[in-house]
Amino acid sequence: MATTLTSNSTAYDAHQELSRQAQWRADKWMLFGTFFIGTAVLGLIGLPFFLYGLSLQIRAAKEGLSVRPVLVTLIGYLVAVDAALNSLGWALDLIGNHTLLARVFLMSWGNMFDGGYFWHYNELAIGGATAPGEKAWVIALLPLMFSMRIAAAIGFLQMKRWGHQWLVVTCWFGVIAWTGYVANMTIFFDVRYSGVVFPVVGWWLYDIFYITPYLAIPYLHTVNREIFTD
Amino acid sequence: MSETTHQKLPAGTEPAFAGMHKWLQRGLIVCLVALVLEGALTFPLLAIWYGWPQLSLQEICSEFEKIRFADESRECIYPYPLFAPAEGQGQKTAQDVWGAQPRPKYERVEYRGLIKRREARLARQAAEKAAATATTTQAP
Repeated sequence: MATTLTSNSTAYDAHQELSRQAQWRADKWMLFGTFFIGTAVLGLIGLPFFLYGLSLQIRAAKEGLSVRPVLVTLIGYLVAVDAALNSLGWALDLIGNHTLLARVFLMSWGNMFDGGYFWHYNELAIGGATAPGEKAWVIALLPLMFSMRIAAAIGFLQMKRWGHQWLVVTCWFGVIAWTGYVANMTIFFDVRYSGVVFPVVGWWLYDIFYITPYLAIPYLHTVNREIFTD
Repeated sequence: MSETTHQKLPAGTEPAFAGMHKWLQRGLIVCLVALVLEGALTFPLLAIWYGWPQLSLQEICSEFEKIRFADESRECIYPYPLFAPAEGQGQKTAQDVWGAQPRPKYERVEYRGLIKRREARLARQAAEKAAATATTTQAP
């Protein structure tokens, strides 16, 4: 009996160890890819690495190893990428607003899609976007919501219960952020869209792909939470 | 039968939500690819629309200053001094219809429009300078 139990637990431990190694091997490629995707401009370099890592994980699952579900992987990494890209733009706006990078690319994005990032840009003492309410959103969301969301995504990818819980919190936060941000743009419509190359539809076509939290929420509320450990 | 179906589902996905999870996964992959393409292509395409490489980045920056503050004398200072005041602080030339919901008066910039604006302005300034020189020469 004891011998049987020992051999079973050895086989279980060996399986767990193989699974852990397979997951880490896949994650190394995905982390590398995500790093580059998060820089925006080097995203095309990162995507093949990320997809290769994902394929390694899927292959490991087919071989019977216990790896993370694909949806958990996709949501975790995509939430991190979403937060990183937003943080890049808003860090430039909050801190780097007088760099040539910000004054050319952030303002040209503003001139093309969202006048809030062109109208009276760099006129406030703090610099950056001067559109009514915009700076408040940047200051509130950049160091709070997006940072918390990246931390939650890391815990979620580690299949931790707190990661799942905090991703629920920060993604619902995102619903509030989208609602308030879009309402602010609507109320100050003329500042945001007058003299803009591709107003409204252009902004929505560009920004709709940042709705990752809206895709995460239905999964977070319907996934069997037993797969996340304490 | 239900046990077999259950085994084919990913961990954490109950049969009732299998369809929804499948479509969420597809949506997430679309978002990932789109975000990567947007991130990679935004800067180059914006640069081309606003006149690069015919205009340098600093010239594009200067053209933006002239448009948003409606002042042709403004130039982009590069590199900007680290602890200097904001470049637009205290400006009085920007043209807006003010009120509870302000509206700017600048026009949209068409494709490579900054190049045309710059050339037109330089030509106009050269003509004005030539006219001023001719007037000065003619005056006794």
